Amino acid sequence: MTATPSISASGNRPSELKRAQARAGYLFILPSFALYLTFVLAPVIVTFLLAFTYYDAIDGASFVGLDNFKRFFTDGRSLEIFWNTLRFAFFAVTFNVGVGLALALALNRAMPAFLLYFFRLAFFLPVIIAAAFVSIVWGYFYGDDLGIINYYLIRLGITPVRWLTSSSTAMMSIIIMDVWKNTGFFMIIFIAALQGVPKTIMDAAIMDGASYWRRFSRIILPWISPVIFFNIVYASIGAMQVYESIVILTSGGPGDSTRSMSIYIVEEAFGSFEIGYAASVSVILTFVILILTSLQLIASRRWVSY
Amino acid sequence: MQTRSRQKWTDRAIIAVMAVLGVFMLLPFMWLFSMSFRPVADAYKMPPSFLPPTFDFTNYRAVLASEIPFLQIYWNSIQIAVLVTVGQLITCTLAAFAFARLDFPGRDSLFFIMLVGLMFPAQVTIIPIYLGYAETGLLNRPIGLALMYLTSSFGVFLVRQFMRSQPKALEEAALMDGAGYFKIFFRISLPQLRPALSALGIITFTQTWNYYFQARVLLEPQESMTLPVAMDMLRGFMGQGNLSMVMAAMSMAVLPVILIFLLAQKLVIEGVTMSGIKN
Repeated sequence: MTATPSISASGNRPSELKRAQARAGYLFILPSFALYLTFVLAPVIVTFLLAFTYYDAIDGASFVGLDNFKRFFTDGRSLEIFWNTLRFAFFAVTFNVGVGLALALALNRAMPAFLLYFFRLAFFLPVIIAAAFVSIVWGYFYGDDLGIINYYLIRLGITPVRWLTSSSTAMMSIIIMDVWKNTGFFMIIFIAALQGVPKTIMDAAIMDGASYWRRFSRIILPWISPVIFFNIVYASIGAMQVYESIVILTSGGPGDSTRSMSIYIVEEAFGSFEIGYAASVSVILTFVILILTSLQLIASRRWVSY
Repeated sequence: MQTRSRQKWTDRAIIAVMAVLGVFMLLPFMWLFSMSFRPVADAYKMPPSFLPPTFDFTNYRAVLASEIPFLQIYWNSIQIAVLVTVGQLITCTLAAFAFARLDFPGRDSLFFIMLVGLMFPAQVTIIPIYLGYAETGLLNRPIGLALMYLTSSFGVFLVRQFMRSQPKALEEAALMDGAGYFKIFFRISLPQLRPALSALGIITFTQTWNYYFQARVLLEPQESMTLPVAMDMLRGFMGQGNLSMVMAAMSMAVLPVILIFLLAQKLVIEGVTMSGIKN
């Protein structure tokens, strides 16, 4: 953090002014900081402590060392859930960022204002409507017998798909919806990045007769690579926390095939009241996110150096 | 000359393809609104409609007349979203002013501590908050959900960054004239912050309107629910036959966010992407 020059106290009573300014400073941050301590920092610390305990509503917490973590990394079920979350994150991130880039490349050209408004509406509306709402709609789209997608598949003479009721396709269906919902966000970030590609360089390349692919791989891609990296990390942080779309579409099923860590945390904590164990799972999730965030910090440093 | 006109035609072709894709992106929303106007008896008739067959508000009335306290749930959502938005605008702006304009011992470390909050997902705070709320009687009360979001690290960061990009000559001059810090804040700093505050307000409102994970854990009984959780319940409760009613309820639930987006599209997109590029 670099020091910010502040309203300077260059009057003739510097120390008094300084004290008054400090008092005002603490007073101004007090509401925000107190709320932050109560609802973010303290709960995080408590969760980290709970992760090393067995918690009972009557007897309170008793220290059990690393037992909860051992349980997570040796239990077949929790490992499957961990693996599900990573698998979901991998595919959701790849397609969200990949499709977002493709859309951005397609839309990054001059067009009339009403089209621009329409495209922003079409691709960004899913981003801002709650996953809880759109998942219900998609749930009806994905239905086996009464589903809209299967209705059209049958009319086209294609075998209907058991979108959500088969453990081999359910995760894919959730990922498809996730990409529909979130790719517009990455598209917008990519469009902003593409507009930063210097026009003079592009024009020179066109004059030299460079093919589109060559221009893309030699100019555009290196130019936006920090943004690609940022988007990947950002998408991973979100994807690791996936919750409501799965809860609504499959409730984690069939079996455990789509259960994510967030669902597991809620079920363990508030269903089975395994508070200590659930806390350890959320600590593991936080560590994965922390690693991703530090990657992002490194990336943004690279980004700034451009 | 020839390549230029060829370029023009590729542009047109790509935009045409994208327009078709754009319509496909909107199909779930078109379906949702259209179904809300279908008579309940036709709810599952194929083919589905993507344009409203009639503008008959029977299903909307049925939702309001049903035994589910829909208006109460709607009111909970509005209450929470408004409280959180107003709360964040106040607390974040006050803190941002101190962090950007005042000098006091420990300022930068305190700011850093607040920034650390950006890294923690809701999953890692929810258990202690749940236990604490159970203890203090805040569980299952909408105010509880609002309370935990009255400030945000992101909001403080956003407003501080914006403030630092503004000149501070006026504030310095006012201080020279002996004006108090509160006066400087309200008279000089606050009016300059309009763009940042409208962005923060819009993101916070939509985000809060959409909360599901936290709401599901903290607000269980029907009377204290918010819309996203209630929709899920409604779907099971009304069962297979009442698809049209579920969609009528859903149309009402998404309306505020869609209206905000239609009216302030640019601001919403800027705000949401800004909240992404927070680090």
